[in-house]
Amino acid sequence: MSVAYARQAEWGIPQLYLLPAAKLNPFLEELKEYYTVIGPVARGKEFVFAPVAKPEELALSYQTTLLPPKKVLHLPFEVLFSFHEDQQIVETAPEQRPQVIFGIHPCDVRAILILDKAYTAEYPDPYYIAKRRHTLLVALNCAEPGENCFCQSLGTGPDLKEGYDLLLTDLGHGYLIEVGSPWGRELVQTMDLAPAPRVAMVEKQKVLENARRKFHKKLNTQGLPELLEENFRHPIWEELMHDCLACGSCTMVCPTCFCYNVVDKIDLNLKSGKRQREWDSCMLLEYAQVALGHNFRKDRDARVKQRIYHKLVYYEPQFSTLGCVGCGRCIKTCVKKIDITDVISRLRGE
Amino acid sequence: MSKPRVAVYKMSSCAGCQLEILNLEPILLDLLGTVELSYFVMARRENEPGPYDIGLVEGAITCGEEIERLKKARQECHLLVALGSCACYGGLPSIKNWQPQRVVESRVYDNLAAIHSTTAYGIDYYVPVDAYLKGCPVSREELLDFIKSTLLGVRPYLRPHSVCVECKLHENVCLFVTDGAICLGPVTTAGCGALCPSRGKPCDGCRGPANDANTVSLAQTMVSYGLHHSDIARYFRKFAGMTPEFSKGAEAV
Ligand code: SF4
Ligand code: SF4
Ligand code: SF4
Ligand code: SF4
Repeated sequence: MSVAYARQAEWGIPQLYLLPAAKLNPFLEELKEYYTVIGPVARGKEFVFAPVAKPEELALSYQTTLLPPKKVLHLPFEVLFSFHEDQQIVETAPEQRPQVIFGIHPCDVRAILILDKAYTAEYPDPYYIAKRRHTLLVALNCAEPGENCFCQSLGTGPDLKEGYDLLLTDLGHGYLIEVGSPWGRELVQTMDLAPAPRVAMVEKQKVLENARRKFHKKLNTQGLPELLEENFRHPIWEELMHDCLACGSCTMVCPTCFCYNVVDKIDLNLKSGKRQREWDSCMLLEYAQVALGHNFRKDRDARVKQRIYHKLVYYEPQFSTLGCVGCGRCIKTCVKKIDITDVISRLRGE
Repeated sequence: MSKPRVAVYKMSSCAGCQLEILNLEPILLDLLGTVELSYFVMARRENEPGPYDIGLVEGAITCGEEIERLKKARQECHLLVALGSCACYGGLPSIKNWQPQRVVESRVYDNLAAIHSTTAYGIDYYVPVDAYLKGCPVSREELLDFIKSTLLGVRPYLRPHSVCVECKLHENVCLFVTDGAICLGPVTTAGCGALCPSRGKPCDGCRGPANDANTVSLAQTMVSYGLHHSDIARYFRKFAGMTPEFSKGAEAV
């Protein structure tokens, strides 16, 4: 069964609670008793998802993080098992302590729902599933979209309708909490919270209305597959071939990219070792190289196209959704400022 | 089975890559349980004659005498490995290649009579090379991986892609896009674990061009950051200016 998610289905109408601002830290302390809490914390001028040691570290007013929270479910480096010459294979024991991803934005939740399909449907990935089972999502609606965000165009933000255990909205004086699963309900029940007054929902809508007006970027999804199919040969691709550095950063930071490479690390005795995987990327030249050296995507334009077509065309038949959630990380991270929204609007002749 | 015999040769270099072999100290004894370091002038008083199974050549080739020693090394080694950036493509010694030989020599030596320096090249300019272990200095981790893979007869995993990939895997703040620093990471071969950016210093390109390095595009970005073309040339020539890719970058603007 897919991990995403029976628990949603059993659960109907959201229940509303109010978490006064002053109660946020005690709430986190309480959570930390039972869960590893992973949330946005500052790293230099940027933010990263990391275990929250003290509630004060949590930076809920972040706009985006360097790597998406996917990194705690599908690790950048992950030891799958260790092995020994005499055929012994020892699987890495999955972490048993449950974890909460706290303050995850709607786009990143939507990305995890896509990963759920990719990693649990056709070829269930035991490593992903083991972690996903023990992971709660306490989401946070976006009040301040960043300059590269365009989730609004894709319906993946700034608000969230599914996929969360709890959903927070910052109302200024406190957080409106919506319950999205029985697990989420358990969480709030331990906390002795007051139910939210009805007016809190009105306040929430105001926060979101306000957020919606602040988007700088958009991606028009009308007839996207047709647009891209018609423009497989368009001068823009050649331009991108000259521009793109093939550095792979855009795919490394994408919350919906799920490719990985598998490498064996042998011990010096040459008899034992471990098998590990790490993120891989279709933007890299060696990715599409096969035996005898043939490479299916030798040219950079072919790889740039693959990235964009995969996100905007090929995901749909496989996962019934686009593969881009509009988080804007690929735009932000690109030294050449190559911008997927700009590519689409130029293909439209805008 | 007898242990594979390894030889370490030094050409024009700072000996930093050889030092990295010695820096393997905590596991050197384990390593010596696996291979025989038969010829290693820096570390042994007595050295054994060839043939050897693996030859690690450190340093660029900058004079006739080294060409001869290199050819001999090629003959006595089954596998010949370029150890470090100098041996791979000229490395730091190659910064002299863009000035007249005599000018460079006179900066260093008072008496030029005995100096017969030539253009600094990586070793594959003169002999066929079986593997390239890049880096200034070479990465210990990669060197070990290479030795283990060779002993097992499997292809070693030498990252061909950009330093940015490893930088991202470690979730570093990008010095280029966040701090506006010039970083050669996007066009440089990974394998060092993004050593420099992980410590807040932009990549200097010591590992040379990645497998699809678009140096021309990076040079254009450097111009937009206000760099003069002579600075851009210096960036690309510091370690690997003799490679076609970095030389294109140096001359792009
Ligand atoms: S981050 Fe930019 S330059 Fe690097 S591979 Fe992606 S599109 Fe190309
Ligand atoms: S393609 Fe870019 S904007 Fe879309 S989800 Fe990936 S990183 Fe975010
Ligand atoms: S700091 Fe340098 S190596 Fe790291 S991602 Fe940025 S450009 Fe690439
Ligand atoms: S980051 Fe760049 S300069 Fe530093 S060790 Fe790696 S390749 Fe060399």
